[in-house]
Amino acid sequence: MSDVESKVKQIVAQTLKVDPSRINDDARFVEDLGAESIQSIELVAAFEEGFDIDMDEDAALAVKTVGGAIKFIEQAIA
Amino acid sequence: MPEKIVYRKLSPEDIRLLQDQGCSALDWDCVQVEEGFRPIRVRNTHFAGTIKLGRHTGVSPADSGPEKISGIFNAYLTDCTLGRDVRIANVGVHIANYDIADNVVIEDVGIMESTPAATFGNGVEIEVLNEAGGREVILFDELSAQFAYLLCLHRYRPELIEQLKILIKNYISESVQKRGHIGAASQIRSTREIINVRIGENARIQGASSLSNGTILSSPDAPSLIASGVIARDFIFAENVSVTDGALLQKVYVGQGSRIGKQFSAENSLFFANCEAFHGEACSIFAGPYTVTHHKSSLLIAGLFSFYNAGSGTNQSNHMYKLGPVHEGRLDRGSKTGSFSYMMWPCHVGPFSVVLGKHKTNFDASLFPFSHLEASQNGRCYMVPGLYLNTVGTVRDEAKWPTRDKRPAAHQRDYISFHTLSPYTMGKIIAASAALNQLRDTTDPDRLEIALSGALIKRPFIRAGLKFYRSALQMYILEKIFDRARKNEQVSLENIRRSFSVNNNAVYSEQWVDIAGLLMPIDRLRDLQDDIAQGRLADIHAFNHRLQQIHDAYLDDEWAWVAHNYEQVFNADLMNLTKDDLVQIARDYLKARQKHLNQVIADAQKEFDQQSRLGFGLDGSPGDILNDFEQVRGSFEKNQFVVQVKKILYDLEKQVEIFINKLNSC
Repeated sequence: MSDVESKVKQIVAQTLKVDPSRINDDARFVEDLGAESIQSIELVAAFEEGFDIDMDEDAALAVKTVGGAIKFIEQAIA
Repeated sequence: MPEKIVYRKLSPEDIRLLQDQGCSALDWDCVQVEEGFRPIRVRNTHFAGTIKLGRHTGVSPADSGPEKISGIFNAYLTDCTLGRDVRIANVGVHIANYDIADNVVIEDVGIMESTPAATFGNGVEIEVLNEAGGREVILFDELSAQFAYLLCLHRYRPELIEQLKILIKNYISESVQKRGHIGAASQIRSTREIINVRIGENARIQGASSLSNGTILSSPDAPSLIASGVIARDFIFAENVSVTDGALLQKVYVGQGSRIGKQFSAENSLFFANCEAFHGEACSIFAGPYTVTHHKSSLLIAGLFSFYNAGSGTNQSNHMYKLGPVHEGRLDRGSKTGSFSYMMWPCHVGPFSVVLGKHKTNFDASLFPFSHLEASQNGRCYMVPGLYLNTVGTVRDEAKWPTRDKRPAAHQRDYISFHTLSPYTMGKIIAASAALNQLRDTTDPDRLEIALSGALIKRPFIRAGLKFYRSALQMYILEKIFDRARKNEQVSLENIRRSFSVNNNAVYSEQWVDIAGLLMPIDRLRDLQDDIAQGRLADIHAFNHRLQQIHDAYLDDEWAWVAHNYEQVFNADLMNLTKDDLVQIARDYLKARQKHLNQVIADAQKEFDQQSRLGFGLDGSPGDILNDFEQVRGSFEKNQFVVQVKKILYDLEKQVEIFINKLNSC
């Protein structure tokens, strides 16, 4: 597991208060992990804070899965 | 000016005819009539005291049903003056001490009288905002939202309060009439009692139950309606109000264009322009313009509101079971409370914020506009600063308020600034950003939640809030600069720079304030306060004139603020911008506005997602769900709001293109 992947999953677990074992790459934030509207915004903010990056909100909110978020952030910090 | 009626005494023939028609008088010598008076139009009526009757020659207008002849039928009149073509029919007890203007209709009324000491609601003191007292507002029929606000809220300046009270006292003693009056063309029907109430022109009083000690302002272009079981005591209603359907009001002011009905009850409360109140209850509230509460189980108590919407079951407490109902709340303009939300006063909510859940602690979020304030399960307030800057609800609200303005154009008592983004909100954004930066820099980065003035912020939302606020501030400033630059008839660098200069009469203040719907630099407020306190405003008219000047100066004052803050925010000199700078400003503004409105559209799109279709297509096949949905709700692409926003973006792209071309070719 890469650093980015590990950190993303840690942030997801912390923000959505879910069991880390449920967080796999295919997990959808809303349907599988129960993210509500505010929590989606909190997740984006937490990723920005955690990785010290600025993410375009529209692009970020279009990401639907944990795996998608990992790829998005890897591109952002590359 | 209505023609002055010349009266004469009744002739013996007049008296004989009247007596034949069942009429009587304590003293016929005290009954005078206009030339052209026709006794046949007066039947079964007793006259007492001094009576003056205008002639009856025509018919009385009716909003519905047949026209009827003017005249007096089955009534007891004491000390009354009637204009021309008045129709009075079927008065149960009497009409006493009233001056009734031309073309008034009074039918099926129990009792209508004014008494010698009547002030018609003027001078009534009401306990606004603090149920236990201390912020009393005195009713008078020239009250405005701004006057009331200063009197109620600025108690920290006793000399100001004293002078405001003197202005009221002088107005009442000079202007308030001593007798009851019904204005021309008003119609009063099926109303049980009207005691010490003055009624303006073209008013409609239909089926009201009891009206006492009040004034109903009304005019031909802004008629007021009081109907269906209303009970109102100690009140003043401004023009174009509608108070109907069993509303119960005591010690209340209702402002122009407001609607109160469906058994709403209120006491010790002010409702200024364009408020709506149905079904619920209000106690000791200051409802600034566009305060709306529509639903059962909603209680608004001891709060300051404006441009506000109450979800059903909204509730607050002003009582901690200690020293009485002494606590107060503040919801700055544009805020909303969700269904069954609750707040324990004191709390202060910043402009355009949304309050959800049951808050069991006191918090001050006044510094943080456009925020999400949600209560946790244990009643703590969690704040997401700036969340509502990019939501469809906020944009729709700003567009809707001006279209729902029911104040008469000719005479608007309350001054209203409609702007959502303004130096007022931007000033708060600047202050909020400074507070968030300090919070971020001075707290342990590992702390997940940080307390601030009674609310909690999750750490990631500090960063998110800063981003929301930064984008809004930049977009606002760029928009103002772009608009001013492109509106030059001849787009040239020289003209643009000239148009950027600040008007000499403009007032710059870093902080702006919202005085019950009127936005102004704080220095203008201070000047106003000082002038009132030192007796330099002679009367109510001088006060209103001053407010008009402040209102008219908005654009110049706003520009002074923008010009100053452009330099602070962008670290550039506005007066030395080059062509390239201006082109870049136009492009940056377009980009910022596109980003903002795309977020708004994305927010609107949630109303068309799968979740929104829950319950549609009942009893049909899966394919019927979308079909049913589109038949009822329409499609996202064709939604009026979405189409409008896309047009705004399209038009803006064109404007920017034209501007850049003009600039480059000069």
